[in-house]
Amino acid sequence: MGSRSRLAGFVGAAALALLAAAAHAQNAPPAGTVVDGSLKGKTLTFVSYGGIYQDGQVAALKEFVDKSGVKLLNDGPTEIAKLQAQVESGNVTWDVVDTDDFPPFVHCGKLFQKLDLTKLDISHIPAGQVGECSVPAMNYGMVLMYKNDKYKDNPPKDWKDFFDTAKFPGTRAIDGSGSPIGGLIEQAILADGGKVDAMTPADIDKGIAKIKAIGPDTIFWKTGAESQQLAESGEADMIIMWTGRAMTAVKNGAAYTPVWKDWLVVMDQLTIPVGAKDTDASYALINAYLGKKSQEILTEQTSYSPINNEAQPKVDASVAAFLTNTPDHAKLGYQQNIKFWVANFATASDKWTALMAGN
Amino acid sequence: MSRTSHTLSAGGENARPAGTVQGPQRRLRLAAYPSLLAMPALLLLIAAMGYPLLTVTLRSFSDPAWGLQNYVWFFSTPVNVTVLWRTFSIAAWVTIVCVIAAYPYAYLMTAVGPRLRLVLILCVLVPFWVSGVVRTLAWVILLQDSGIINSVIRLLGFDGVKLIRTQTGVVIGMAQVLLPFMILPLYSVMRGIDLRLVQAARSLGARQARAFLQIYLPLSLPGVFAGAIIVFILSLGFYITPALLGGPRSTMLSTLVQSQVLSLLNWGRGGAMGVVLLVATFVLLALAAPLMRQRHKQASRS
Repeated sequence: MGSRSRLAGFVGAAALALLAAAAHAQNAPPAGTVVDGSLKGKTLTFVSYGGIYQDGQVAALKEFVDKSGVKLLNDGPTEIAKLQAQVESGNVTWDVVDTDDFPPFVHCGKLFQKLDLTKLDISHIPAGQVGECSVPAMNYGMVLMYKNDKYKDNPPKDWKDFFDTAKFPGTRAIDGSGSPIGGLIEQAILADGGKVDAMTPADIDKGIAKIKAIGPDTIFWKTGAESQQLAESGEADMIIMWTGRAMTAVKNGAAYTPVWKDWLVVMDQLTIPVGAKDTDASYALINAYLGKKSQEILTEQTSYSPINNEAQPKVDASVAAFLTNTPDHAKLGYQQNIKFWVANFATASDKWTALMAGN
Repeated sequence: MSRTSHTLSAGGENARPAGTVQGPQRRLRLAAYPSLLAMPALLLLIAAMGYPLLTVTLRSFSDPAWGLQNYVWFFSTPVNVTVLWRTFSIAAWVTIVCVIAAYPYAYLMTAVGPRLRLVLILCVLVPFWVSGVVRTLAWVILLQDSGIINSVIRLLGFDGVKLIRTQTGVVIGMAQVLLPFMILPLYSVMRGIDLRLVQAARSLGARQARAFLQIYLPLSLPGVFAGAIIVFILSLGFYITPALLGGPRSTMLSTLVQSQVLSLLNWGRGGAMGVVLLVATFVLLALAAPLMRQRHKQASRS
């Protein structure tokens, strides 16, 4: 409720600081800056995951395209294997690539360029989100959604309850769309009574065993659309959902409620591939993307949280209810140990894949 | 047919008096013609199948280093072996379901009048034109716990059955997608069976069941085998249907290949999985081939 009124307060006070900020003298031009006609005759290929997300990103980049004169091509969905093939053959056609959490860390310097941070204004990006090879593209979360009429007055309150099938019977649905969900494995370890501050690869087994112990009826959904369908048809009693999908499902009438305690922080990343044709143009695109106004447009169109802390998107209450950057949501987020999961990516993936294949 | 062959031979006769030297040359060109006709398909196969297959096989031995490491990994990881076995067993179930469903349907197609036959053919072909993903999603709506089938069962006072996210659900969905590949070859073989043979058997005193088992069934077996091989092999590579209709216990090998290649960039391991599946399929077909050939001979003899 608090977030709603706060966001409603933002409505009057949108967007102007952008141009004023241009006066600042620093290495990188302030985020959102576009020099008129600077990229005339050039072409950039932007790669992301399609759907309303990429449409929103393109809308956020419209000013950049119009002013700089660049021709923006869109491609997708992002596939790291495709990028690897491009880099290995020395024919990289992608200029800026939107990826999920881990790839820029796993393949930093091999498939993704180490970023020259003097060319980007990262001063408004939320703390701790800039990697050696990536800046965030947007923030979102994975929340536990529970079915209202199943649990009535005694709903699950945290991940411990999610793993407690004795006290909270019912079908669970988990994100099985790809990479291992580090945050969920950590929560499983915690629910099992373990600790996560000094995890070892052996702990991965404990976490996975805890997830497996939920039982044979656990659903591993493969696409965001599938998770939304599970909620809208009431197939599962607790569903781990991406916030954007959770919002859409509730909008479409799914009678589910989010649990915000320790929601899992996830982000998409923006990267520049090794061997990209015109690195400076790629940097210019990313710097424009990080701007306040672009981030407001992105959030208004996609309902994902902006990664510029000055952005004040105008969204209605149903969207605001699922934004992750509102103060009362932001403080409840749980940040997975990215370093650990990147270092143990192959092991974790193999074990996660085996879990997905019923082994 | 007879008319074309007539004009062709007439042309040949006309060409002969024109010059004796031209005769053998022309015949040579005609002899080369059939293989030339196959060239476009052959080139396409080499470019789109042969070359990638070669690359995949090579990488399975060379990525990340030369050796058998990827195959050692494949057979020493329990999940791979389980899933390989499961892939074959799902494919076998799908084939059995398809044969049982397609056989009477194809027979009906040969037995009815032309108008009804057109309707039956359309019933097979129209779903064929709809994308597999769309059909699979339709199955999700039918099979899910809160879906149509379960609602009807509950309405009748029974407990719901678990269909979605089970192997049964996957087999149902895949069989529906693959059914045309069974019906069409069966129909084309059955259409060629001379029904007077069955009548003759009946007139010689065979009961209906016996006439069917001894005359009609053996004659239709080539169609069953042709359809079964197509369905079985196509089933082995299914990806979307098991992903959407299945649960962890119905994951097929294609899903594991996808996760090795697309999320882990282990091209070598992905390649090894493909090669294992391919070799296993060849071995299985080689084992089944003599059996089929024998039956075929038997059928053509009668």
